[in-house]
Amino acid sequence: MQDLIPAQVRSRLKELRLVSRRATGQQGVGLHHSRSRGAGLEFSQYRAYEPGDELRQIDWKLYARSDRFFVREAERESPLAAWILVDASASMAQQDASRPDWSRLDAAKALAACIAELALRQGDRFGLVVLREDGLRLVPAGDGARQRDRMLLELHALEAAGGFPGVSKLTPVWDRIGATDLVLMLSDCFDLGVIDLMQQLSAARREVLAIPMLTVEERDFPFHGGYRFRDPETGEELPGDGDALRTGFLRRFGEARQALHAQLDASGIRHAQYVLDEPLDLPLRRLFGSRDAAEYT
Amino acid sequence: MDLTLLAPAALAALAALLVPLLIHLARRSEQRPTDFAALRWLRQKPKPRHRLRFDEWPLLLLRLLLLTLLALWLARPMLDGSASQAPWVAVVPGVDPAVAREAITEADARLHWLATDSPELDQPTPTGMQPIASLLRQLDAELPTDVPLTVLVPEVLQGVDAQRPRLSRAVQWRVLPGTVPVPEPTSPAAVPRLAVRHAPERKDALRYLRAAASAWQPAPKDSAEPVAPDLSTATVDEPLDSDVRWLAWLAPGALPAAIEDWISGGGIALLDSDTTFESNAARIVLWRDELGQPLVEGAAHGKGRVLRLTRALTPAEMPQLMEPDFPRQLRALFDTPPPAPTRVAANHYSPTLGGETYPQSPRDLRPWLALLIVLTLLIERWLATRRRRGAAP
Repeated sequence: MQDLIPAQVRSRLKELRLVSRRATGQQGVGLHHSRSRGAGLEFSQYRAYEPGDELRQIDWKLYARSDRFFVREAERESPLAAWILVDASASMAQQDASRPDWSRLDAAKALAACIAELALRQGDRFGLVVLREDGLRLVPAGDGARQRDRMLLELHALEAAGGFPGVSKLTPVWDRIGATDLVLMLSDCFDLGVIDLMQQLSAARREVLAIPMLTVEERDFPFHGGYRFRDPETGEELPGDGDALRTGFLRRFGEARQALHAQLDASGIRHAQYVLDEPLDLPLRRLFGSRDAAEYT
Repeated sequence: MDLTLLAPAALAALAALLVPLLIHLARRSEQRPTDFAALRWLRQKPKPRHRLRFDEWPLLLLRLLLLTLLALWLARPMLDGSASQAPWVAVVPGVDPAVAREAITEADARLHWLATDSPELDQPTPTGMQPIASLLRQLDAELPTDVPLTVLVPEVLQGVDAQRPRLSRAVQWRVLPGTVPVPEPTSPAAVPRLAVRHAPERKDALRYLRAAASAWQPAPKDSAEPVAPDLSTATVDEPLDSDVRWLAWLAPGALPAAIEDWISGGGIALLDSDTTFESNAARIVLWRDELGQPLVEGAAHGKGRVLRLTRALTPAEMPQLMEPDFPRQLRALFDTPPPAPTRVAANHYSPTLGGETYPQSPRDLRPWLALLIVLTLLIERWLATRRRRGAAP
């Protein structure tokens, strides 16, 4: 099976960590800060032994000095559940004429694989939800290499078709994604349904991150001459001349993107735009990396 | 200067201009289907679709230019009056070039030798005798009518006609010191031998020819004896000597091929009236009797000439045989005329007015147009086949 992550990107992933602002760590040992205490590496306090404490948690050196049992407590670092939501509506199949084998969905698959890799490395659980009009496809959250392979298998078979699912079909999302989980949305964010879903998740105390994905043609509009533009989801067509349409489109599209960014900011959704000719790890770097390291390409 | 078209109907070829226009226009209506998810931001203000637009303006213009040039080429454009108006100075060989230069004060004057092909004055002096009168008339006819013509001549002219040239314009005729080479005077040549080839039945005619040939010989001063004629007579079977130039062929029937070749090689033959000889050359009556009836017709044949008697050489048919004038007439038939005098004092030979004017031949622009067309074609091909080019026409 073909590796979704290019080798260069994979090497650069080592500098990145998935972090959540809301992770509280109630289950298991992980990398994320928590307010509850327990076993762990980072020392927190000593407390008196109580029946039921594990013998191995007793600090035997302190017992030797003081002849009393103390239990060494550490700050608990808890794992996180990262949910990768991939929009697989037909608009995601769009690609650039200059690079026809690299569609928006291909980039989304690669990004999803990257995120899975990050989560796997730091022991977090991760799951996949594919959003498509004919029904969701779901890989329940889990951890370990087998979970990653399961997810890659699902991604490889994925094809973009149809529109964005309606609200009624989104119930499994709410069933599976628990509060304070990390949600990463990979979509073009053209559909209002996507934005609504993100806003609702964010309002329900999920940590939502968005990677709006654009093609180069949407950013630059490099069309000259006559074209028949077709919306892949509605099938609508618009004949027009590239040069005549360019200025108006770029202005309106730019305004729409700014409005989207403002909307996401207002909802507390962190976002990093990705254009298909950019390095794959750039949006991840913007979201998870240190600020100054983010912009190099 | 004005442009004329010899074949203006060919401008109909300009209709071909529509072809590149259509080529560059037709592709516009072809619309490539493209998936574009951000359609709703594209649709806000629909543009009018039916606006005439053309692809690749430079290439289109170049193609239009190419077709226009081609149509113009077909229409055969001519440029009138493009010749220079600078005064022309013709210097007759014999005048010292330095003297000629001093004599001319106009700065823009064109100085040329009056010689074949009109070489410039910087060229060495043309040698050989120049037909001055002929060259003058040619020059007058070829120069535009308003170009002043000055002719510098030496004191004596050589190679002129028997009359003063009549030119279309007033010529400034200036006599300068200078000489022309005097040709060697040609001495009258000795009378060539007349060879006679005759059939037996024409034997009686020989006596008249012999008498005439005898009369051609210069008479000796001291004796009254008749001079022996320089005449060789033989039957038709006898081949000709190599030095024979004049021949009298007195035999009926076809002329042998050997004699015909000899005439073509430069011989002059007097043919019997019964000899059959076909020639394409025009016949001229050279000798008529008192009533105007032709006696001898002449025609050129190759380098030589054929003289044909129209009657038999008998006194009954041709009483002129008996006249004292006959030897002179016969000789005149064979003789080439002596050259006319061509030498004249220059100041008596100034041209007169009243000659005809000739329209100037306009300059044909087609070679230059062809060059331009080839250049345009090369540029067009380069533009159309260069690598960085869209998939347009």
